[in-house]
Amino acid sequence: MAMAALRREGRRFAPLLSPRPIAAAAPRSSPSFLSPEEDVPFGARSISTQVVRNRMKSVKNIQKITKAMKMVAASKLRAIQIRAENSRGLWQPFIALLGDTPSIDVKKNVIVTVSSDKGLCGGINSTSVRLSKGLLKLNSGPDKEPKYVVVGEKAKVQLIRDSRKHIHLTISELTKIPLNYTQVSVLADDIIKNVEFDALKIVFNKFHSVVSFIPTVSTVLSPEVVEREVESGSGKLGELDSYEIEGGSTRGETLQNLAEFQFSCVMFNAVLENACSEMGARMSAMDSSSRNAGEVLDRLTLTYNRTRQAAITTELTEIISGASALEG
Amino acid sequence: MVDMVIVPATRGQLGVLPGHVATIAELKPGIMSVHDGNGVTKYFVSSGFAFVHANSFADLIAVEAVPLDRIDACLVWKGLPEFTQKLKSASTDLEKAEVQIGVDVHSALNSP
Repeated sequence: MAMAALRREGRRFAPLLSPRPIAAAAPRSSPSFLSPEEDVPFGARSISTQVVRNRMKSVKNIQKITKAMKMVAASKLRAIQIRAENSRGLWQPFIALLGDTPSIDVKKNVIVTVSSDKGLCGGINSTSVRLSKGLLKLNSGPDKEPKYVVVGEKAKVQLIRDSRKHIHLTISELTKIPLNYTQVSVLADDIIKNVEFDALKIVFNKFHSVVSFIPTVSTVLSPEVVEREVESGSGKLGELDSYEIEGGSTRGETLQNLAEFQFSCVMFNAVLENACSEMGARMSAMDSSSRNAGEVLDRLTLTYNRTRQAAITTELTEIISGASALEG
Repeated sequence: MVDMVIVPATRGQLGVLPGHVATIAELKPGIMSVHDGNGVTKYFVSSGFAFVHANSFADLIAVEAVPLDRIDACLVWKGLPEFTQKLKSASTDLEKAEVQIGVDVHSALNSP
């Protein structure tokens, strides 16, 4: 079991922790003690602990770096969590008015995948991509053509590998400046202008708590589809007829404005929640990484001590046997 | 639970009382006031939508909403003639639209 763990850690350990008892070997230095990287001058006696020491130093550095990354992610999370929770109120009225119909059957689906630009954040981007691919498969058929709009580098890299022809638009470096509504509304505007859609499905990771992020899909329907659903009179949208439209515009125009506004609100919330999830996932990933590094360091320290003590024992044995040879 | 809400719809002020018919209203920049038993709280909303549902629930979604006491009155006073001036000198359609928005916002803020 230990060997399996060591194998996972890295093959370089194997020669150092070989089952051969070190003290039983000949007092003269034998090259088999030293790891292959070590070069010993002829006649030298000491077993070098340099390799182990180097490795310990690098593992200690890794531990420090990942601990620092965890702290940074924790502080960023605190700031953005408040904003994300406050932004949830943005799309709730739309659901109250229009209902949520994720399973609606339309011709032109556009899947907007929200992901992070930076890595080292656990598995959240992979789950988003898996969900998007699942949605694509679900929605492809004879005259349905689903498309991707990818936000964030990580999802782009994964999706470009096998679904390149489906990707319509990619956006990256969204979080270079702190997220605000203006930026997201410009983005939403761009998407609406450049992509024809009947339904927009926004895939992101919803932030439930510091350790739990749920991949979620939010659906925004185009005004034509809403009109169609209102006419069919089924579900929540069927009741839209009972709402009076204030102001001079027709219902069609109001629905158009409503759809655009809804999309930008939902996008804003999605981007914020995904950023929150990214920070939380990074926190837990860096935490387990530094804990792992600590364990590796403990094991290396044991090896180091054992090697050091073996060298001392060898020296002592030589001296003592030399002295007793002189006497007797 | 409040008694009445007045929202700035595109066609004018819309007063919403309990039992109002279900409505979707588009908003223009202006003052929204919430009247409840104790008094009136006023907010400035930049634009958005107001939904009144049949069960006497009203939802207001605005891009920006600021309580009125946070707005500096003298800046508003100065802003209005400034924007009215700019309106006269605006040339392109885009400029005209931007300046018109400024005029609307400032005149709405000036009214109470």
